[in-house]
Formats: sequence, structure tokens, C-alpha cells
Amino acid sequence: MAAWAALTLNFFIPRLMPGDPAAIIFARFRGKLKPEAIQALRETFGLTNEPLLGQYWSYLKSMLIGDLGISIAYFPEPVTNIISSALLWTIFLAGVSLIISFSIGTLLGTFIAWNRGGKLDSILPPVLAFIGAFPYFWLAMVALYIFGFELSWFPLGHAYGENVTPGFNISFILSALHHAALPALTMILVSLGGWMLSMRNIMITTLGTDYISFAHAKGLPSLQIMLRYAARNAILPNFTGFGMALGFVLSGALLTEIIFSYPGQGYLLLQAVRAQDFPLMQGLFMTITFAVLAANWLVDIAILIFDPRTRK
Amino acid sequence: MIFTKIPFFTTVSFFLFIGCGKNKEINKRDGLTVYQEAQISWVRNFNPLSPAGSARWPTSGGIYEPLFIYNSMSGEFVPWLALDYEWENGNKVLNMSIRKGVKWSDGKLFSAEDVAFTFNIKRKHRALDTRDSWGYLNEVVAKSDTSVRFEFKRVFVPGFDAIATQSIIPKHIWNKIEDPVKFANPNPVGTGPFTEIIRFDNQLWELGKNSDYWQKGKPHINKLIFPTFPSNEQVTLALLSGSLDWAGAFIPAVERVFVSKNTENHKYWFPLTGHTTFLHTNTKDPILNDVRIRKAISYAIDRELVVKVGMYDYTEPAHVSGVSGPMSKWHSPHINQKEDWTIYNLEKANQLLNDAGFYQKKSGQRSNESGQALEFDIIIVSGWSDWIRSAQVVSQNLKKVGIKANVKTYDFGAWISRMQKGEFQLAIGWAEKGATPFPLYKGMMSSEYLQPIGVTADVNWHRFSLAAADSLFRKYERTSDQTEIKEIIYELQNLFVEHAPSIPLFAEPAWAECNTKYFTNFPSAENPYATLSPNYSPEQLFVLVNVQNR
Repeated sequence: MAAWAALTLNFFIPRLMPGDPAAIIFARFRGKLKPEAIQALRETFGLTNEPLLGQYWSYLKSMLIGDLGISIAYFPEPVTNIISSALLWTIFLAGVSLIISFSIGTLLGTFIAWNRGGKLDSILPPVLAFIGAFPYFWLAMVALYIFGFELSWFPLGHAYGENVTPGFNISFILSALHHAALPALTMILVSLGGWMLSMRNIMITTLGTDYISFAHAKGLPSLQIMLRYAARNAILPNFTGFGMALGFVLSGALLTEIIFSYPGQGYLLLQAVRAQDFPLMQGLFMTITFAVLAANWLVDIAILIFDPRTRK
Repeated sequence: MIFTKIPFFTTVSFFLFIGCGKNKEINKRDGLTVYQEAQISWVRNFNPLSPAGSARWPTSGGIYEPLFIYNSMSGEFVPWLALDYEWENGNKVLNMSIRKGVKWSDGKLFSAEDVAFTFNIKRKHRALDTRDSWGYLNEVVAKSDTSVRFEFKRVFVPGFDAIATQSIIPKHIWNKIEDPVKFANPNPVGTGPFTEIIRFDNQLWELGKNSDYWQKGKPHINKLIFPTFPSNEQVTLALLSGSLDWAGAFIPAVERVFVSKNTENHKYWFPLTGHTTFLHTNTKDPILNDVRIRKAISYAIDRELVVKVGMYDYTEPAHVSGVSGPMSKWHSPHINQKEDWTIYNLEKANQLLNDAGFYQKKSGQRSNESGQALEFDIIIVSGWSDWIRSAQVVSQNLKKVGIKANVKTYDFGAWISRMQKGEFQLAIGWAEKGATPFPLYKGMMSSEYLQPIGVTADVNWHRFSLAAADSLFRKYERTSDQTEIKEIIYELQNLFVEHAPSIPLFAEPAWAECNTKYFTNFPSAENPYATLSPNYSPEQLFVLVNVQNR
């Protein structure tokens, strides 16, 4: 049901935008193309005057059989090809940095909540909140300028180096890791604070509950209390947040991708919107929708495992 | 002490050694790294006929070649795959003689058959005919291996431009392609200087030279390299770091940002293209409909300031005829005495506004008797910062003569849709381009493209037409006589200057930068054999065959 609603919105919302793709492509030539060309363009893209409802039915039918159509901006490349090449890089960069940021943030949150009032507790939250408050593009550009351009520690962009061939070989993997390092670091840096703070706050509430006091009184080892008693309960809301974030990984990290010339989904989406590339937009929105639905489902399962109360 | 010093020196000398080795290696570079398209991931497409223009640069003008190339610096058509042309039968038949000894990159011989085939495939698949060649062509046949005959339905001499610059494809390959419209042509076979796809990854692709190119000894370089760059900031950084050799990007304050970092090798050349950026005036607007208002607006604009503030002084104020730079040879000899409404003159602006019945009130704002105020919106594409700044200067200028102009920005899609439907008052935009000023004036004043407000018009956004101009266009389309062509252009110019259908703002430059550390013989102001900009396909062919390793 949710999927159907999403598919329907995917179809209608892009079509509410002013302009049509053929006119936009024509305009991109800035007067270098003769006006007669636009008819040829409309013919090529199969832009018809068929009523919207008819188009909607044929769209639903082709979506059901997994046919996402042919991109207009990258004509005549099938949408599935374009998305699949960007998808892996997005999952790799945004997914990995999300997992790292979530794990480190949650662990740090647990730790500083356990030692609340300690040195780390008074330093880390304000510092990370401060960094997180910077506009991301500014932080990323400064990082790129200092570490990429001035110091040359990291490459200036792209997902892998010029002299490696993509495939399963050591030099390619190393190059890909080296190229992902700086964008991933900037993404982790800005999101770390959020995970840490939310974990810390819930953890502190949990630590004040009776069953924790009871565990202390029983004389359980503190590590066990911290992780198995307190953190296990405190992590639940964070998990929901993680699930949502995981789903949105597929929408790509637009700013990261543009600043680091990274070939992911976010930039693709921007291109699709700019060119009014309906098939590509629909394909991208569809993958994002399904990713969010799937992530929600996974989180539900995870919570089922962590929280016995939901198992009734 | 000694123990610690020795390893230190060894490490330093080791690094120095590595450094030297690296430097020597870097002094020679195998491939020319180029930026022309803003992309983040490459899609393999080398179809030169693709109507969407989605083929990789330089497919049409590098891999494939046209019959003639228009050189925008000299203003002439240079014979390329063709040698010469001739009109006959009252300009109804165009004969072209085709070059001998040209080979396709698969070794087969190129002939006039391929030329005829290229045009006939467009007849069969109308979607490929983006230049509407078959709107005026009747038949294209190869008379021999070296001669092609184009027979026209009606006399249409300007059709030559589109025919001459058509990329020619090999018959023996394309006649087996079922659907050339959707064909991505992953392994192209062309006649151009670079034809071999050495590598194609989503982040980088390399195009190797055609070792059997028909211009013997050319090209001088082994390959072209294309990394992806999503926007001009990354291009600028890559140019500065030396990893990019040639780019066609707009760089703000280029002298300070780019050239000053290495005055010897960092070069740029922004020559005028001859075309103009306009402040379009919607002539269906009840107030802008009055030519006096349009000219008054034009008089009130301090173009020197627009160019300085908005365009970093990269260009010059527009000429009243709408063409400048290499196109100045088309200026009518009497044009300057006739009208001068592109010269800053507040007195004349105020005079014209008074004549039109709009008087300045105490507030400074002008309005007419019925209380209509002179207030307009200037619409610009959001993010096009040079034009936005230019519009802001224009708005300040207009305030001085009592006209209120609000700068409004729209996303490109929304902007172009407003332009095409005529739902704007003032807007900065481009106009039609071509080898002569004819397409410009036709786009400006022909009733052929005119549409009512609300209906998409692909050109003539300002919605202006003139019967006198229409008859001149018809006359122009029938003649191949150079003196007559000049006369007609002069007359069109006079009409344009008299009626001011739109306001020329500043001359349009072509953006291009290069790094001469590893490569030389790029075009420049001192050696202007072509424009340096890769953005005027297929003109880049001149550069591709002439650039050399240092």
C-alpha cells in the first residue's frame, strides 16, 4: 500500500513541474540549435500528448515488470544501468560512513553517559555539536582545500585513481579507500555529534532507573551493567533513527558528491530534476522509497530482537 | 646524536631522490586532460546523430568530422571532409566535392556514399533530423566517389550551414543498425583524429589517436583523457593543481585565481564570439510594447558598469546591432550615425520616458496619467551569478530614471518555461547564433516563430515580428550572392536598430583555459587560429589536430 502510494506520487509530482524535457534540452544549446530541432527531440523521447491517466497506467505496468524506461538526460541509456552504477558507490560511501558514525557515536555516547561529569563528557559534546553546526559544504570545502589541495594527503576528487582499473584487485581497492577517506571523514565528523548526544541523553535517563540501581546492588560487573542493562535499552530510539538514516543513504549525499566529484545517487537526482528527466527521477525515487521501506522493516526486526517487550 | 642523524639524512635524501624521479616523469605527459562536460559519472555514448546531444564530447568534432568547419575567429567555413561547393540551377542544387584518401578508423575508404547515407538516414528517421534538413531538401545522392548532389525542395541558401557542419557517419556500419535513434554506438568508427576508446570507466575515459588520420603527421598527441567534474569549482581546483590541461569553464577573477599562480603556464583566453547577451523585453507587455520605453531602458543602462561588476570585465558593452567582435564585419557602414541607444545617456532616457507619457513623481518613481507605474520584473536563472549581478546593476541603473526593476530568480526549468511562454517582462538571455547575423535577426523579428502568450515559442521569446523583416528573410533565403547577402543584413540591422525588439546588453565571450606546462600550440590572442573554447563543437577540431607535446 505504501509502495503504491509512493509510486503514484513519484509519477505525478515531477509532472507538476513547469516546462518539458525537450524544451529544456533544446534550451541547453543556447541558441546553437535551430528551432526546428525541438520537434525531433519530442519525437525521440516519445513525449506524447496522451492524457496523464493513460500515461499513468502504462507507467504502473512497466514498474511492475521492473522496466524503469530510458533516461532522457542520458539518452538512450536505460535508467537501471545509470542507477546501478551510482548505487554501489553511494552505498559504499554514505553507507559505510553512516555505520561508522553510528557505531562510534553510540559507543561514545554510552561511555560518556556512564562516566557522566567526567573529562570526556565535558569536552566531546560541545566540540562535536560545534563542528556539526557548521554548514556541511563549507566544512567539506575547507577540508578538501587543506588536506587535498594544500597538503596533498588526499586526492582532489573522484572515487578512484586514474591509473587503476576497476575490478577486484588490491590497487583498485586501496585507491577507492583512499579516495573515500576524506569525504567519509567529513560526513562522519558532522553526524557524529548527533548520534552521540542522543545516545548519551537516553542513556543517562536509563541509568537513573530502578533496575540499574538493582543491578548495582546485586553487585554485577559494571561493564555488564553498562552494555547489557543500560545500553541495550537506551539504544532502541537510536536504532529507529539509524533505520531512517539507512533508508535515506540511497538518496545520496548530494553536497559530498558535488564537492568531491563522487559518482553517487545524489548528483544523479539533481541532474534528473534539472533536465526534467521523468524516467530517471521515477527510478531514483523508487529505489529510495523501497530502501526506506526495507530499512524500516529491518529496524522493526532488530527492535524485536533487542526489546523482548515487543515480542508478545 | 650521530645515530639519530644518519637515518634522518638518509630519509631526506631518499625522499629527494623519489622527488627527482617523480619530477622527471611528470615533465612528459602522454594524454591531454580535458574538461568540457559537467558530469559525475560517464555514460558510454558516441552517437553523433543523437538528438538529445547526449554523446560524449568530442564525438561530433573529434571522432566524427563534418564537411566544413565554421571558424568563429576568422568567420569562415574551412573545408574539412569536403573540398569545395557550388550552387547551381538558381540555388536549388548544391554540389559538393568530397576529399579523396580519407579512411575510416576501421581501414575502409571514406567516400561520397557515406555523405549521402548520413543525410538519407535522417530522412528515414525523422527524430535524427534535428536541423530539419528535410524541411528544404528533396534528394541527396552521391554522383561519384568524390561528389555529392543536394537537391532542394525550395530555394534555401542558409541551409548550407547545417549541411556543411553535419558529422558524417560510415555507411557500412550504420546501415546494419536497426534503430539509430536509440543506438549508443559504444565502439565508434570515425574519420577523426581521435577514434580509439582506450578505456571507459564511470569516472574516467580515454580516447586514443587515429594512427591513420588523413592529415599526415597529425594529431601530435597520443590520447585525450576525460575525468569527471561535476562543477566549475572542481575544474578550477584541478587546473590549479596542474592535473587538467584544457578546460572550457567560467572562472571568476581568472587573473587572480588562476593566472597569478603560475604566469608562465596558466593561460586563459576569453575571445568575443560575435554574439550578444540580451536584456529581453516582452513586446506583448502593454508598456514594453512601446519602442520608446525599450530604448529608454537601454539608454539608462550603464553597460560599462554591468560588464565590470557583473562580468569581471571579461567582455565589452554590446553594439547596438547585436553583433560584435569577429562579427563586426557585418556592421552596416551607417549604423552608428543612425541610432546610439546602447550608449549610456540618462538625458535621452528621461526624454523618451517623458515623451511616452511617464512622468517622475516626488517619490522618484515614474507613472503615467492613468496611474500605471513603471515597474518590471527581471527574471534570471537562479545560481547564474554573473547574470544575477548584471541584472542587479541594471536594476540600480533603471532606478535613476524612475523605473523600478525587481530581480527575480527561478530554477532553470521554470525560467525557460516562462521565457518560452512569454510570461515575463524583462529577462537576461541569449539569442540565436550562426555563421552570419541572419539567425539572430530571424529569431528577433520573424513572424515564423511567433506564438501568442502562453504558447511555447522556442525562439522569439520577446514576441516581436515585422512584415518588412519577413520579406527580407525570404529574399535572404533565396540568394547566394555575397554582396546581396550583405545588403540584406544591413537592411535587417537598420530594422533592428529602429525597432529595438530586444536590448543588447554585452558581447558574449567564449570561456577557455589551458595549462601549457606539458602541451603547446593552443590558440591564443597572439595565435588565433580558432577559438580556444571546447564549447563550440565542431570547432575544437582545429585545436585537437594542432596541440603538441612540449
